[in-house]
Amino acid sequence: MAQRSIRFRIRPDGRVDEVVEGVAGDGCQALTERLESRLGTVQQRKPTAEAFLPAVQKLALNQQSLPIQGLALDPLT
Amino acid sequence: MSHFSTLKTELRDRQALVEALNDLGCSPLEGAQPVRGYRGQTVTADLAIPQAEGGDIGFRFNAEAGCYELVADLDLWRQPVPIERFLARLTQRYALHTILAASAEEGFQVSQQTNHQDGSIEVVVTRWDG
Repeated sequence: MAQRSIRFRIRPDGRVDEVVEGVAGDGCQALTERLESRLGTVQQRKPTAEAFLPAVQKLALNQQSLPIQGLALDPLT
Repeated sequence: MSHFSTLKTELRDRQALVEALNDLGCSPLEGAQPVRGYRGQTVTADLAIPQAEGGDIGFRFNAEAGCYELVADLDLWRQPVPIERFLARLTQRYALHTILAASAEEGFQVSQQTNHQDGSIEVVVTRWDG
């Protein structure tokens, strides 16, 4: 048994970022194609290995509160 | 193969468009509908949201582009938000409905749905494959 996950981020302007997690099988491909036919034009497509980590890092940054970012910027205080 | 995609959402699916309009409190009339503009001029649209004071909002299917397009007399736009904001919100709700419907059809279940502070909606769908 393998778990297939697809993570979507729907931005306020309606653009959709899609990340297929794990090793994508035929199921992910079918869902991806079904979605893309209804949603619209693919602007960008990258292999997950490159794309997934930066997406997670960006997500983590967005969720951090300001004091934590300040701490990270000035670790000596 | 595994990939990361960015999609520019187009309003292609009527059902998801109707649901997105319902989310915004704009339940549309379906079927060929007149959309009223300046001095009672009308154009025919496939979906219409009549406005009490005229200046209706309609959506017309553009067969060549394969998607719905908003049709309205912008001089008579009386919505609480500007048209660009209206379309952006509509498109976001449309994308959400499309993702939820297509995921269910392919046997995926929603494992996470989060509204983020930046206004984006995150949805994670999963499926176990043997």
